[in-house]
Amino acid sequence: MITKLAGGFVLDPANGVNGEQRDLFIDNGRIVGAPADGRVDRSYDLRGLMAMAGAIDIHSHVSGGKVNLARLLMSEDHRDVTVARGALTRSGGGQATPSSFVTGYRYAAMGYTAAFEPAMVPSNARSAHLEMADLPIIDKGTYVMLGNDELLLRMLAEGTEQERIDDYVAWMMQATAALGVKTVNPGGISAFKFNGRGLDIDQAGPQHGVTPRRVIQALARALHELGVPHPLHTHCNNLGIPGNIETTLATIAAAEGFPIHLTHAQFHSYGKEGDRHFSSAAARLAEAVNRNRNVTLDVGQIMFGQTVTASGDTMAQYRNRVFASPDKWILMDIECDGGCGLVPFRYRDKNFVNALQWAIGLELFLLIEDPWRVFLTTDHPNGAPFTAYPTLVRLLMDRGYRNDCLKTLHPAAQKATNLGSIAREYTLEEIAIMTRASPARLLGLADRGQLGIGAAADIAVYAEDADRERMFRAPRYVFKDGVEVSGESGIAALPMGATHVVRPEFDKGVTGPIKSFFDDHMTVGFAHFPLSQGELDDAGVRVLEHACRPRRRA
Amino acid sequence: MPGIACPFCGLVCDDLVLEAGRVDSRGCAKGAAGFARPTGTREHRIAGRPATFEAAAAAAAALLAGAQQPLITGLGADIAGVRALLALADRTGAIVDRWQSAAQLNNLAVMQRAGALAATFGEIANRADAVLLLGRDPTREHPRLFERLLRNRTALYRSAAPWVSYLGPPALAPSDIPLAVRAPVEASALVDALGALSAVIRGKRVANSAAVALPLAALGEIAERLKAARYGAILWEAAAFTAGEAQIAAGLVLHILRFLTLTTRCVGLPLGGSDNAQGVAQTMLWQAGWPGRVSFATGTPEHDPWRFDAERLLAAREVDALLWVAALSPTPPPASTVPTVALVGPDVTLPAPAAIEIRVGVPALDHAGAVVRVDTVIALPLAAARPSALPSVAAAAAAILERIGAPR
Repeated sequence: MITKLAGGFVLDPANGVNGEQRDLFIDNGRIVGAPADGRVDRSYDLRGLMAMAGAIDIHSHVSGGKVNLARLLMSEDHRDVTVARGALTRSGGGQATPSSFVTGYRYAAMGYTAAFEPAMVPSNARSAHLEMADLPIIDKGTYVMLGNDELLLRMLAEGTEQERIDDYVAWMMQATAALGVKTVNPGGISAFKFNGRGLDIDQAGPQHGVTPRRVIQALARALHELGVPHPLHTHCNNLGIPGNIETTLATIAAAEGFPIHLTHAQFHSYGKEGDRHFSSAAARLAEAVNRNRNVTLDVGQIMFGQTVTASGDTMAQYRNRVFASPDKWILMDIECDGGCGLVPFRYRDKNFVNALQWAIGLELFLLIEDPWRVFLTTDHPNGAPFTAYPTLVRLLMDRGYRNDCLKTLHPAAQKATNLGSIAREYTLEEIAIMTRASPARLLGLADRGQLGIGAAADIAVYAEDADRERMFRAPRYVFKDGVEVSGESGIAALPMGATHVVRPEFDKGVTGPIKSFFDDHMTVGFAHFPLSQGELDDAGVRVLEHACRPRRRA
Repeated sequence: MPGIACPFCGLVCDDLVLEAGRVDSRGCAKGAAGFARPTGTREHRIAGRPATFEAAAAAAAALLAGAQQPLITGLGADIAGVRALLALADRTGAIVDRWQSAAQLNNLAVMQRAGALAATFGEIANRADAVLLLGRDPTREHPRLFERLLRNRTALYRSAAPWVSYLGPPALAPSDIPLAVRAPVEASALVDALGALSAVIRGKRVANSAAVALPLAALGEIAERLKAARYGAILWEAAAFTAGEAQIAAGLVLHILRFLTLTTRCVGLPLGGSDNAQGVAQTMLWQAGWPGRVSFATGTPEHDPWRFDAERLLAAREVDALLWVAALSPTPPPASTVPTVALVGPDVTLPAPAAIEIRVGVPALDHAGAVVRVDTVIALPLAAARPSALPSVAAAAAAILERIGAPR
C-alpha cells in the first residue's frame, strides 16, 4: 500500500533537505521513491505543512524500577492528573511520572517516535523491558548502567586488561538487551554503599581504590573498541555541587579522545563564584565542547514547576534530600550493581539557584556552536516532564520570548547570567538536527531521524506557526513506521514500537569468571540473569538489532 | 544444569533442580508443595456443566460486560497475567485489588507519604553486618531467607556471619539462626518497643513505668550495634503488626533508618506477600500509577485503600460480578453470592460451582512466565516444570477481552 504525503515542505537535515517542497511516499513502513506506475492508495495533502522525521529523545526516564518508585512516591501526581481511557487508548495518569501507556501517547502526540531509557540497572533489566512492552507507539531502548557494578570495579582494581573489560561490557549489553552504556557518578554509587559521601574524579573509591577517571577511561574505550555506536553516556561525579565544572571538564579529559556523551550537562556546569557561591560555568563547558569534537552532550534543561528527580545517583540524591518538595524521598541500594534515588522537586522561578539553573541550561544550548553535538532534553522527569519540550523549543527559537521569561526570574539570577545578551535563535533546521538527525546518528539508528529513501517512515508533520511552542505542541499528523498514529482527532492507531538493541561480540571465555562471581555472590543465578529472546517475544517486545563495528586491537 | 525459579514465595529462589520431571526444592517445604501440586482437572465449566474454553470465555465476557460493577481480585498471576487482567479491568471499568493486600499496602502507604531507605537481597547478603529481625520469624513466610541472606558463606563485604537480633514476641522468634540479642515483647507492645528503640538510637533517655515494661537493655544493645554497623538492615513483615499499627511501625522503621544514615548505612527490607505480590504492585504502578486497590469505574484510575478493598466490597455487595484469579496459590474464591468467574489452577477445589470456571495453568508448572521478588527490583523467569496445554491467565484474560470487544 502506497501512502503519499503530498506537497509538504520537507526538513531533513541528514539528507541536506532544508524546507524544500516535495512529495514523500511510504510503502510497508518505509520511505520509498515515487511509484513508477503512479499508483497511490492513500494521499495526505501536506501543502503548507512541514514534514520532519519523528523526534527522538535520547535521555528520558520512562521505564524501570526507579520510574515505578517515582510513580509510587508521586501519588499526588496520579491523583491530580488522570487520563481517561478512549476508544483505542488505555487510561492512566501522571504529569511528572506518567503511566506507561500515557507516556507513549503523549510522546507520539508531540511528534516523538522514540525515547530512550538512560539508566537501566543491570539487575532490573527484565522488569524494565517487560514494562516497556506496555509503552506503546514509540520506539525505545535502554542504556545499561555500569561503573558501580562491583564486578567491574573489582576487575579494574585487579588491573584486568582492557580486552576482558570489553568482553564484560559486551556480555552485559547482550544480557540486558541494551542499546548503550551509561555510567552514573562512576564509582560513587558503590562508594555510597560503603558510606562514602562524596567522590571526585581522581579520588580513589573507599573499597576498591579505583578512581572515577579509571572507570570512565575503561568504559569509553570499551565501547569504542566494541564498535557500539552510542558513546559512553556519562553522568559525571558531583552532580549539582557548586564548582562541579572542574569535575565535568576533567571527565572530558578522562575520555582521552574517545567519544563521550555528557548527560544532563546543566546539572554539571556550576561554578562557585559570587556572593551566593553558585554561578554559571556554562561558557566554560560550551567552550570545551566546541573545542573537543569527541564530546556530545544533552542539556537536562530545568523548567519551573513540580517534578520529581529520579536518578541512579544515590550519593547525590541523598545530598539533595534536603530540597525535597514535598518532603519525602526514597533511596535504594541495588544488587551490587547500582542504586536509585527519588526526590520530588519544585523548581521555582523566584528561587536564585533554580532560576540560575534555568539560565545555565539555555546558555549551554546557545553557546555550543554545533547543533549536531547538543541534544534537547529535560532529563525527564528530573529537570521537567518531557511535555515541556515545545516550550523549550520556543525558548531556543525566540529571543524575545526568552528575554521576557528571563525578566520574571529572581533578580540576582538575572544578574548572574549572560543569557540576555545572547542573540542566537535556533533555526528550524537546527531544531530538526538536534531532535532528529543527530540523535539517530549518535545512537547508530541509520534508518531513523531522516527521510531518505529506505528510512523508516517515522514522520511528524507540523503547521508552521510563529509561536513555536504551539507549533511543536501539536503536530498535524504523526506517522510511526508509516501508520498514522496521531492526527487531528488525537491518537489514531496503536502500533507497538520496536526496542533497539546492539549485540556486540565478546570472547566467550569471559563468562567463566562472571559465572563464578554470580555463583559465589549474586542472588540471581547466572543462567537467569540474561534476558532470553523467547521472554522478549512472549512479552510482545519487538527487538531491532543495530550493527556494531568492532575496532579491536590486533 | 541451571536451576529453575520458584514462584511460591517472594524469595523466588532460582536454584531448584528439575530432573526427570521431579523438582528438588532445596529443602524448602513451600517450594516442594508448590511443585508437587496435583494436575487436577482441566475442565472448564459454565454453571457447573463442562464447556469449551471458547464458550467459557464468551460466557465470562458476557457476565463481566453486563455487570454494573465488576471486581477483579485474587490476582495470583505472573506478570503477563497481571498485564492482561489490567487491560480487561480498564475495558470493563472493574475494581482491582490483590486479595489480602492490606499488609503490603500499609508498607506502600508509608512509602507514598514519607519515602523509604531500602536495599535488595544482593546488598544485604553481601554487606549486612548487623541485622534486626522485627515482629516475627520471617522464614515462616520466606523459608530460605536466612540461608540466602544471612547464612551465605561467600559474602563480598563481610567476613563473619552477621550479628542478628530479634525484637518481637518470644513465641514467634526465629529458631533457625543464632540470635545475639533477643528483645522480647508481645505483639501488643511491639510498636511501643519500636518507638523506644528509635528514641534510644537518637540518644534519648527511655525508662520503664508501672504501665510499660520494655526490654530496655536489649533495645540499648540493638541500638548500639546498628549505630556501629557498617551496613545494618532491618527486616520486617507488615503483617506482623496489627492492621492499625502496621503503618506506624513502617514509619518508625523509616525514622530509625534515616537517623542511622546520617552517620552510617542502614537499610530496610519489607517482607511478606506471596503470589507475585510485588509483580502485581509493579505492573499496576506502571499501567495505572497506583500499586493496588484501583477502580477503573469512572474511566480513569482511582485509588482508595478503603473503598476498593475486595473483602469489603464483597461483604457489602457493592459489586455484582467477581473475577477471581488464583493461578499461583490454589486459593478458592471467598464465599459470596456474587456471580463469579473463577480463573483458577487445575487443583483448586471450588466450594460451590462458580458461574464460570476457567482452569488456567500454574506459572512455573504448566507454562513459563516471570514474577517479581519481594525486594521489587528483580524479576525472574519461570520455566514450565510440567508443561501443559492449559491456558495461562494472560491467555484467558485476553480471550475474555477479545469477546467483549472494543468500546463503541
